[in-house]
Amino acid sequence: MTDQGDGFAIQTYDLKKTYAMGLVTVYALRGIDLRIRHGEMVSIVGPSGSGKSTLLNMLGALDSPTSGRILIDGADVTRLSDRALSRFRNKKIGFVFQSYNLIDRSKVAKNVELPAIVAGMPKKTRNRRIHELLDLVGLGDKASRRPNALSGGEQQRVAIARALINDPAFILADEPTGNLDSKTGEEIQNLLLRVNEEKKATIVIVTHNLELAERTGRILHLRDGIVEKERAGLHSQDQVRDPDLDTVTIGGT
Amino acid sequence: MITMVVLDVIGLSFAALKERRLRSGLTVLMVIIGVALMTSINGLGGGMNNYISEQLGTLGANVLVITPSANLFQHGPEQQSGMQTKLTAQSVRTIERIHGVKYAVPYFSGSVTLRSGGSERTVAVLGLDQSKLVYIAPKASLESGSFVSTGDSSGIVLGYGVVHPSNLDRPFAETGQTVFVEFSKVETQGGIEKIVTKRKAFQVRGTLSELGSQQIDSQVFISLAAANALFEKTGSYDGIYGITSSSDDNDKVEANITKFYGKNIGVMSPKSMVSTIEELMGTFMSFLSAIAAVSMFVGAVGIITTLYTSVMERTREIGLLKAIGYTRETVLLMFLTESFTIGLLGGLLGLAFGVAGAYALIGMISGMMGEGGSMAIVPSFVATDLVEVFLLACALSVVAGLYPAWRASTLSPITALKKE
Repeated sequence: MTDQGDGFAIQTYDLKKTYAMGLVTVYALRGIDLRIRHGEMVSIVGPSGSGKSTLLNMLGALDSPTSGRILIDGADVTRLSDRALSRFRNKKIGFVFQSYNLIDRSKVAKNVELPAIVAGMPKKTRNRRIHELLDLVGLGDKASRRPNALSGGEQQRVAIARALINDPAFILADEPTGNLDSKTGEEIQNLLLRVNEEKKATIVIVTHNLELAERTGRILHLRDGIVEKERAGLHSQDQVRDPDLDTVTIGGT
Repeated sequence: MITMVVLDVIGLSFAALKERRLRSGLTVLMVIIGVALMTSINGLGGGMNNYISEQLGTLGANVLVITPSANLFQHGPEQQSGMQTKLTAQSVRTIERIHGVKYAVPYFSGSVTLRSGGSERTVAVLGLDQSKLVYIAPKASLESGSFVSTGDSSGIVLGYGVVHPSNLDRPFAETGQTVFVEFSKVETQGGIEKIVTKRKAFQVRGTLSELGSQQIDSQVFISLAAANALFEKTGSYDGIYGITSSSDDNDKVEANITKFYGKNIGVMSPKSMVSTIEELMGTFMSFLSAIAAVSMFVGAVGIITTLYTSVMERTREIGLLKAIGYTRETVLLMFLTESFTIGLLGGLLGLAFGVAGAYALIGMISGMMGEGGSMAIVPSFVATDLVEVFLLACALSVVAGLYPAWRASTLSPITALKKE
């Protein structure tokens, strides 16, 4: 296997993660090999405890693997310092969480602005982008509201705008519709699909929502820390490709 | 660009402090109390030292006050302990012969009621050879008239404060005018105690200029003989001022007098009195300062508690910030800004309250001393001390913020985000 990017957005090699929980060792990931292309939209599904969120945290450089490697845009993030990782997350990755994680004391605009502050983006540019993004997510008129005055769907839109402020190459979403009713959930799905289409961002979504998963390009089924099965979704980049072919290259060692 | 980021991050810290207004406010209050205590104690101590040196410093440096009893504050007729030395004309001659003594100036003292026109006031009377006054209080000078000569038994010189009391818009008495002196004492006749009041007319020969010392400004002066007669002292002096050739001789002269008279005589030099009192005051003030310092440390602990609680409550928020790219250093800066802001606010307000508090305390003390207590103590603040206390508050607050800020900065984004 080569280290070089080969045009892949995300590559993992034999990714393993074990936790010590008291006296028990938990094998959260047991060897994941992934290739995700630029601009792809991938969903990761699987039962609770299958390692979905752990995998997403690794891809987001929030957590480090016990063994194996992760190449993002060809760079090995497992070798970066804490400070370099912060910078990397700031510039390259936009996070969307199940529980939004907005700061309630700050206005919507300030929440969206947060990643741009440490990115060193000039104030003027920041303000322009905040308005563009709030318009994009349909909250152009709510910039000076507080998050706790918004509905769940609206809060998740704010979070998506925040994820997009530094124009990241990747959006990582952990159960983005998990706290929303089906109608609002669908709106958020549509928004993410639009972001994938318009911003050409590579999106990885961890979800329980199979309807959402079906609408992405590829669906990875995780079970017990390995990719059990993989298939193309409705939004697949290359429909002609035999989905079984991919399965050969992906899986445990 | 970096400064811009820093300014924005500081803005975030302010917002966080504002969100917990009450708690932040109470923590600032803890710092205020510490700083204010420290400031007002410094100011009071400085003011009292100034007051003492002003009061006692008007006496010449080469003056020794010799009293019949070893304890300067317990002499006088009411002290019948027998452990006293009778100071007579013979004592004056003896002391004058001691090497290093230039003059020995005996005095009588007492308290009388002085009447002039419709007003009256209680004053201290000093009977002495007034030509020697210039040696005892070198700065004393006449505002009008002349001193009372040795043989003058009905002349009186009034101190500045007696002539110009704060509660009168006109002079109490003027040179050339007659004033009445009333001296009361308890006499026992056939086992019955009764108060006998003597009344005598004196003519004001002169008035003194202001010295700034309450002791001299509020006194009146008559001749030695007149005082002997008025207070019926029968030649036993209340004290002798020993004027030495130089203040360097004070210790030697003091030792000689003590050697001659033994332990039952009091010898004090105003200079050593000042340093003794200042030493006492200094000890007392250090004690108070130590208490104030403790309260400043308590304030610092308050900052630790407040910030630590805040870090715990904002675990998710910190996790989010780290996830979206805030470095350890940035998070550290955010929390240190919070603690520094508390210190800065507490320090500034504490200084203001401390200065105001020192004046308020002086006012209270004067109030307790009654209407006559025109204590001229003014709090004295040294700029460098104020700056020092302020910097100490700022430094302590930053140090107090270190641990909570460090805890926040090392939180792992995933564990922080997982926390419900």
